[in-house]
Amino acid sequence: MRVVIAEDNALLREGMVLLLTSVGHEVAAVAATGPEVLPALLEHRPDVAVLDVRMPPGFRDEGLRAALAARKQLPELPVLVLSQYVEETYAAELLGAGASGVGYLLKDRVGRVDEFLDALERVAAGGTALDPEVVTELLTRRGNDPLDSLTPREREALHLMAEGRDNATIGATMSISDRAVSKHIGNVFLKLGLPPSDSGHRRVLAVLAYLNKG
Amino acid sequence: MRDTIDRADRASMLLLMASGLSIVSYVFVGILLFALAASLIVVGLGMLPETVLLLRKLAGIKRRQVGEWSGRRIPEAYTPLTGTLVERVRKAVKDPGTYRDLRWLVLHFFYGLLLLYVALPLWVIGALVDGVWCGLLRRRAVVLPLIVRLAALDARWSRALLKPSPDAERNAELAERVEELTVTRAGAVAAHGAELRRIERDLHDGTQARLVSLSMRVGLARRAYDKQVAAAPGAEAPDPDVVRRLLDDAQDQAEEALTELRHVVRGIHPPILTDRGLVGAVRALAASSGLEVAVRDDGVEGGPRAPAAVEAAAYFVMAEALTNAAKHSGARRAEVELARAATGLRILVRDEGRGGADESGGTGLLGMRRRVAALDGTMEVVSPAGGPTLIGVELPCVW
Repeated sequence: MRVVIAEDNALLREGMVLLLTSVGHEVAAVAATGPEVLPALLEHRPDVAVLDVRMPPGFRDEGLRAALAARKQLPELPVLVLSQYVEETYAAELLGAGASGVGYLLKDRVGRVDEFLDALERVAAGGTALDPEVVTELLTRRGNDPLDSLTPREREALHLMAEGRDNATIGATMSISDRAVSKHIGNVFLKLGLPPSDSGHRRVLAVLAYLNKG
Repeated sequence: MRDTIDRADRASMLLLMASGLSIVSYVFVGILLFALAASLIVVGLGMLPETVLLLRKLAGIKRRQVGEWSGRRIPEAYTPLTGTLVERVRKAVKDPGTYRDLRWLVLHFFYGLLLLYVALPLWVIGALVDGVWCGLLRRRAVVLPLIVRLAALDARWSRALLKPSPDAERNAELAERVEELTVTRAGAVAAHGAELRRIERDLHDGTQARLVSLSMRVGLARRAYDKQVAAAPGAEAPDPDVVRRLLDDAQDQAEEALTELRHVVRGIHPPILTDRGLVGAVRALAASSGLEVAVRDDGVEGGPRAPAAVEAAAYFVMAEALTNAAKHSGARRAEVELARAATGLRILVRDEGRGGADESGGTGLLGMRRRVAALDGTMEVVSPAGGPTLIGVELPCVW
């Protein structure tokens, strides 16, 4: 895959380049400041962009804004946004234009190389990768909520689904069969009053829309 | 009629006390003259500051009497008489308040007595005239209210003579403010110190310890690797699973250290404040609160930003208030208001829950109050049983 990286910290930037090239991806360009990001993306049209949220010159949320701007100009461009901390609001903004090809993860997750690469590939293929911490925040709701009627196992399945995992991964993580996964997910959709969806992005979208609604 | 008599009564009391003071001041002038004469032969110099203090006390009595009668305090502003004897004498002589008091003393000696002399016969006349007027003819009293007029005259003259010069008054106000600031500053410094110690402890006991333990595991894994490489064929090499376990542990420790650091950072200054400013950060809070929150902003967004400490305190207070509302109030809706005032930042959090928030109950409200007080701010909680709950906070700052 061809990747464009936007990261201002030289150590992390080099680490990321090393990681990606060592597994056979090509780093088309690196951007070290916010204003460089969009031109680099437009010029190189990568398979996926990996963006840091906080970048110079303002050290605020330049990376996130660049990601949103890029999604507007190149709706098909998959972006994976990394940050030292996650905010539900940022997730909502990123997912606002659709959950397809969007990732939002804590930088810490890069350390789990296999999982990180898996998330990157998922996003590049048009899937979703949402950090477990964001999902936990989304699932923390007041009482009197249909979410409370879920069993712990169904809740776990919903959590993994919202992260953007497919059935096989959910089954492997929960150590249950594919049939059991389908059953749990069917129950979740029933209890939350969502129309049944096949696997894939539409399912993630439905779940995230439900959770975002609050 | 009863009212009229009561008022005349109180007015007479003031006049009576005024005349009493007049007589005392007569004596006092004697003391003063003696002190001045004694000062001429140096020995009596020590008497001078004491005499001035006595004079201040007399004026103080009059200030209090007039203040109580009129319901309006007369401010007091003197140079404190401190230091060596020479300094005390110098300050006593240089203080303009001394001369204002003396002027009052002499004038009051006359008008204090005079007003009483006029008031006394009025009582006799009033008893007769007003007795007939009101008692028999049902008209309004005319004479007794004159006594009240006399007392008002005494109050007015005394106020004019005893109030400090504008300069002295401003100085007194400033001195009061300095004292107030000294107290709140000490509080703020103490709170800041406690905060630093908490951060230090969090980093020391948590993150640092984890990084040490992580480094240790990496070191052990490296040692095991070296041994494996160096091991002669056939000799016993370390179990690769052991190395793998060490590395797994090391990564776990690194992740936990990162999670802890994130918590510490959030506790110092929430990153979203940097990214989005106070209003943006509060909108994010509202979105993740689980409540339907209306955020209203009155001039905070877009303008110059409040100091970081003020923004952080405001953010924590609102986060805590919304958490409480979501957890305890039973409300589904809440309102948050931020307003830029000339003197600082005003915030208001209101929920439509069941109310009855108790400050002694949890540490939440107490913690909020401490955070606000550390910045010289004020916090008000209104939460009657049955709701709604309203928390208002004002944090002073210069924009």
